Amino acid sequence: MSGQVIALPLADVPFPPGVEDFYLPSLIPWGAHESYWFTKITALVWVTTAILILFFVLSYRNPKMVPRKAQWLAESTYGFVRNNIVVDMLGHTGVRFAPYLTTLFCFIFLNNLWGIVPGVQLSPNSHIAFPTVLALISYVLFNWIGIKKFGFARYFKNALVPPAPLFILPILIPIEFVSTFLFRPFTLALRLFANMFAGHLILLVFTLGGFAMLNANLWLAPVSVLSWLMTIALTFLEALIVVLQAYVFVVLTTSYMQGALAEEH
Amino acid sequence: MAGDPPPERSDDPFREPPGAGQGWTALSYLIGGIAVWGLIGWLVDRWLDTGGIAIGVGALIGAAGGIYLVIQRLGQ
Repeated sequence: MSGQVIALPLADVPFPPGVEDFYLPSLIPWGAHESYWFTKITALVWVTTAILILFFVLSYRNPKMVPRKAQWLAESTYGFVRNNIVVDMLGHTGVRFAPYLTTLFCFIFLNNLWGIVPGVQLSPNSHIAFPTVLALISYVLFNWIGIKKFGFARYFKNALVPPAPLFILPILIPIEFVSTFLFRPFTLALRLFANMFAGHLILLVFTLGGFAMLNANLWLAPVSVLSWLMTIALTFLEALIVVLQAYVFVVLTTSYMQGALAEEH
Repeated sequence: MAGDPPPERSDDPFREPPGAGQGWTALSYLIGGIAVWGLIGWLVDRWLDTGGIAIGVGALIGAAGGIYLVIQRLGQ
């Protein structure tokens, strides 16, 4: 019978998902409506931090010449960031930044990973506050090391004045200013946030969409199954994005530091 | 870990950001150029009431400046 809606014993599934799905109820105090200082997001960031500290402390507490699994993982992570990113872009003198950049990489990676961990499936980085703070740290860091190396005036002259004929400098200097000092922190934060936000939204759309179609018409059940299969496929795509965004964030931070330390552009 | 000697690298320690960095630099020059000079054009337009012409001129100047910077800083 066309048009007949078959009621299923499924709870009403909210569809389509929206921004409000990123604002989760308060955990401490449970279900409070005025204080949101501790939610699932806050908990996940704390867990990430705890995992990172425990992992690196425990895996390197008793180092062996022939490393065991945990030590091997810690060493290869650090070695990867140090050799493939830092030394490659900053040279040997840049090794002093490798510990920070490795921590940054692991922190972003683990926080992103929550987006695809079954049962959690929400990355703290899908709230722009966290990428913003990380981008601000990178921003202060690359400006700080540049000013420290060259002094205030010479650093800004290096960054803002390209070697070009005098009469086009008035056109170029504002562009340099905007792209170096405004776009860099902005895009750094936005790229990470938008990727994690969109990833969560896409998984929600396909999961809830399956339920919504099933609720609307039982004949749509095969499409619902297809929709849920898409969720699984997209989770694997997200796994790629999780690593890639952590990598891109660290590479760009390093590249900004490289630009700040370069003698002449 | 931190004490290990890092591997040798042969090339110049100060070169332009490779790969991703270079792409983003180029993109931010182009968008930055159009945005900042478009904004200046918009201000001039509001001031002199040119009916939008100043915005177009500004955006063109910005695009030209952005392309110049991309060629100058990245194209060797």
